[in-house]
Amino acid sequence: MAIDGLIILDATGRPIIQSGFRSNTPAYPLLHIDALNNAISKSSRPDDVDPVLYVSGASTEASSACCHVKHGELRFLSPVSGDMDPLYAFAFLQTFINILQEYFGPISAETLKDNFDVVYQLLEETLDAGGHPLTTSPNALRDIVLPPSFLTKVLSVAGVSGLASPSANSHPFASPIPWRKAGVRYNNNEIYFDVLETLQAVVNKNGTPAVSSVWGRVDCNCKLSGTPDLLLTFSNSQNLNDACFHPCVRLQRWARDRTLSFVPPDGHFELMKYRYAPASTTTQHQVSVPFALRVAAINIDENGGTFDLALTSRLTTRPLENVSVELFLGDGAAGANCVASHNASWNFDPKTLNLRWEIKSLPPSSTFSLRGSFTSNTKNPRPARAFRILFEIIQHSFSALKIEQLKLTGEQYKPYKGMRGRSTGDVEWRW
Amino acid sequence: MSGQGGQDAKFFQRGKIQEFRAELHAAESKDKKFQKRKIVLKKIVANITMGNDMSALFTDVVHCLAIPSLEIKKMVYLFLISYGRTKADQIHLVIPSFLQDCSDRNPLIRALAIRTMSYIPIPVVLEALTDQLRHCLKDRDPYVRKTAAICVAKLYTADPRKAERGGFVELLRDLMLDTNATVVSNAVAALSEIGDRQDGVIFKLNLTVANKLLAALPESSEWGQIYILDSLLRYVPEKHEDAELMAERVIVQLSHANSAVILTTIKILLYLMNYMENRKLIDYICKKMGPPLVTLLSSGPEVQYVALRNILLIIQRRPSVLKNDVKVFFCKYNDPIYVKLAKLEIMYRLAREENAREVLAELQEYASEVDVDFVRKAVRSIGRLAIKVQPAADSCIQALLSLIETKVSYVVQEAVIVIKDVFRRYPGKYEGIIPTLCEHLDLLDEPESKAAMVWIVGQFANRIDNADELMDDLTYSFLDEPTEVQLALLTAAVKLFIYKAQSDTSKALVHKVLKLATEEVDNPDLRDRGFMYWRLLAINPGIAGEIVLAEKPAITTDADRMDRGALDQLLLHTGSLGSIYHKNPETFIRNAAGKALTDSPALNAFSRQVLVSAARNIPPTVIHVPGPGPPDGPRKSEPAVSPESALLSPRPIPAAGSNSELIDISGTQTQEDTAEDGEGEAEDEYAPTPTSAADPYANLDNAFGGYIADEPRPQMNDLLFRAL
Repeated sequence: MAIDGLIILDATGRPIIQSGFRSNTPAYPLLHIDALNNAISKSSRPDDVDPVLYVSGASTEASSACCHVKHGELRFLSPVSGDMDPLYAFAFLQTFINILQEYFGPISAETLKDNFDVVYQLLEETLDAGGHPLTTSPNALRDIVLPPSFLTKVLSVAGVSGLASPSANSHPFASPIPWRKAGVRYNNNEIYFDVLETLQAVVNKNGTPAVSSVWGRVDCNCKLSGTPDLLLTFSNSQNLNDACFHPCVRLQRWARDRTLSFVPPDGHFELMKYRYAPASTTTQHQVSVPFALRVAAINIDENGGTFDLALTSRLTTRPLENVSVELFLGDGAAGANCVASHNASWNFDPKTLNLRWEIKSLPPSSTFSLRGSFTSNTKNPRPARAFRILFEIIQHSFSALKIEQLKLTGEQYKPYKGMRGRSTGDVEWRW
Repeated sequence: MSGQGGQDAKFFQRGKIQEFRAELHAAESKDKKFQKRKIVLKKIVANITMGNDMSALFTDVVHCLAIPSLEIKKMVYLFLISYGRTKADQIHLVIPSFLQDCSDRNPLIRALAIRTMSYIPIPVVLEALTDQLRHCLKDRDPYVRKTAAICVAKLYTADPRKAERGGFVELLRDLMLDTNATVVSNAVAALSEIGDRQDGVIFKLNLTVANKLLAALPESSEWGQIYILDSLLRYVPEKHEDAELMAERVIVQLSHANSAVILTTIKILLYLMNYMENRKLIDYICKKMGPPLVTLLSSGPEVQYVALRNILLIIQRRPSVLKNDVKVFFCKYNDPIYVKLAKLEIMYRLAREENAREVLAELQEYASEVDVDFVRKAVRSIGRLAIKVQPAADSCIQALLSLIETKVSYVVQEAVIVIKDVFRRYPGKYEGIIPTLCEHLDLLDEPESKAAMVWIVGQFANRIDNADELMDDLTYSFLDEPTEVQLALLTAAVKLFIYKAQSDTSKALVHKVLKLATEEVDNPDLRDRGFMYWRLLAINPGIAGEIVLAEKPAITTDADRMDRGALDQLLLHTGSLGSIYHKNPETFIRNAAGKALTDSPALNAFSRQVLVSAARNIPPTVIHVPGPGPPDGPRKSEPAVSPESALLSPRPIPAAGSNSELIDISGTQTQEDTAEDGEGEAEDEYAPTPTSAADPYANLDNAFGGYIADEPRPQMNDLLFRAL
């Protein structure tokens, strides 16, 4: 039960950073990098490469598997040679990506190269050379590996090395709670909850949803002193299904009375994830899609086609924001020419062959339209059978999740709490 | 070192050994706070990570170990881990520093020292490590103890017997009862690693220890939880209640955020269910397992893929899980192809009379997509749905017919392939559509579809008016066809002849085909079958008809379910590579120890019936499943060449060949054809009967190449040689 290591590849498939692979031959990581690059070059869509790639060696003895994920332009690889859980590798890769983001913000090949020493320190602390994850909680990590912040730069220039090399005097793992730093102090004790819900739906030709589900996530930004023990109750928790939680949440307590009892980590963390299913049985536990796409006509002829679309918001109070409607025009698509109403914009991406129609804001109950034609180099082109529609609704959540109460024990102060909601959608509309 | 954060890209430059050495020496003078040497070491480490060999700097770098700076120590240790193994002759220089660091005041340095030593498997180092490790396992600092636990596993890898003699396994066992949860989980991880080795000591848990481990669960890190949960597979419940109690304690972990924790929890629950009796509790657990599996599907495509492959196994063993959730598995247009294919398979598995309409509507939608592979699988699934869910068969056939109307070549080909099976499943029900199929004969250019069509033409030659014309066209290019099609043509020609023995065309046709198959073709299978038919027809055409057109075993969907014992065994590997490739890992992974359910008084009767013993004693069961992953090893029995297995098996299709993929048409086809041909008891009748004048093939003896009919042995030898 251990992964063999971690390799980070840049956009061109060259390794930027890799862990030691001390129990393997030097050729081992190269074998995996090659196997992945080969598989990518062979497949027509790079995203279609099998995520658990079988890497055959000279014999069964030497065979192994390569688990890989894509993050932006980077690829994170984790070779595994024993019979182990690929999810374990994927979970670790994701954790490591999260840690990198926590340290450097958005990550790219450049940021990693610029901070390679910190990345290596992180790698050393999070994964031992035998492939066992060590410390992955950001709170504990910050005790051992200092983030490359402005402050540390100043300290090191000033020669205050005692502070710059943290482990010398602050004792790591001193905190009795592994995910929380000990001795945190804030002047204003605040905690913020961000509720982000995503509607994922597939809508049939006739406008009825084939599948629709809402996945929610509660992100938390905690700035509380000491060791606060929180008890959080939601006003409509019965609608939250399939919830899963940050390790700090006492699972037994949730199972008993659906309240969240936890000692939060310091700073940003993801408190919980859930699926929202409305209680009413009439809608068959489905959430309705907040717009309608009318496909008046799509005609395909020999060298292209024409289309006529209308998008209507079904919301009555809020606008739909940043709406994008995308259609893959089929292999050989050469260009498009459209007229969009209300000054909405459209473009055709010759690389992905996608036609994209973008609407900044779709006011309540309004209808926007797009009419046009496209040309193609292949005879009788075959555009995708579905539009992909992305949108956002600010200050709104499908589940109308609300905090009923936040109780704090273990500390004397009264915390300030804030909560905001945001919804996004990713809908596939068949025609 | 982090002080320069953001500007370190400059270190990623290829450097020369000589320059580094000179720099390192120059840095020794006036090195305030060791900053200069720190920078040089950083450059060296950067070069190591770029793959440049820095081992020539060994003595120079090791020299820096005396510097009292944790950062420098870390870099030197990194260097040692990279090159220590290759510098066996110089490693003794470092030992004193190692020993000194092992008794440092700072626990981080103590841990760092033993960690580094354990990665240098050289006798001198190991010798030094053995003493230090014993102290560190009892260190007062938990960070050192947890590091030491993992080091024991490393020591064991380097020298198992030494580790056993030193009593380290016992020390690890004691660590399982440590007060610190992280130490406990690391001890478990180390013991598991040792126990998984084929030459390792056997690691088993008793109820007391298992309960202690469970108590450490809530305080462990997510990774520790995985180790602990996974180790519970090593506990064999002796009483139903023990298994039930444990499941109740584990079940809350299903709401953990870490997907690997969820899947490991499910693995344990599935395992414990084998030892339970309480029906209600089993049902409750099955109900609880569904939602977390669905949650995994909201993650990235990679996690989805692993989850889907596992769900496929789980729902075969516990069909009530996710029974009502088929919609969750509907494919999105933008899903990567591997996710789509996995979802499709699950949709088929979950299809029942109640949801068949929805599923069919989805499948039809997929059949109009652009991706060829996916469309093919979708079309096939429609046919399989028809075979599986009888009430939906009519609408499935309608759907297939309308797909054939599209005249898209690969859609038509797939449709023909599945329709062949539909005919077998529902004899006498849908033969009316044969003319429609025949209209699209020209579109078939792939062996499998062509063979299927040929089979249809042969099998229903009596219902197709122009069957002999069609066959005549089809056999026109006989010698250019792939073997699969040739075999089908051969059988079809014989069937045609049996149906229409009076027709001159069919007589000429069968003669032509038999002659081609036996004289012009090099393939032993084909030639052998040709001879077999020829003899059969020569001896007694009446009986030949009975044999060739014998009642076929009905196609059932039971056959594409996995063998229960094998399934139970695979489920012990839930979440592991084995469950992704649907193969037992010891067949393709280095050093993997086979897992098997262990018998105990609590094991329920159903699971015991299909008990498969562990691979340590018997050769592993190989499960052949087409799909992603490693190629199969040497196949034990190829169904197509061993008709006996089909004859002896009570089931229509042998379980070993059953697969989770689509019904293996080529397999069943050739299998049942050869079964018809080689009908066991017919053996005696092969003895040369006096050729009667009525026999139309009386004068064809020379067709056997000079061998008389009852002595085919030289030919057999020839076959064997060719086969080799």
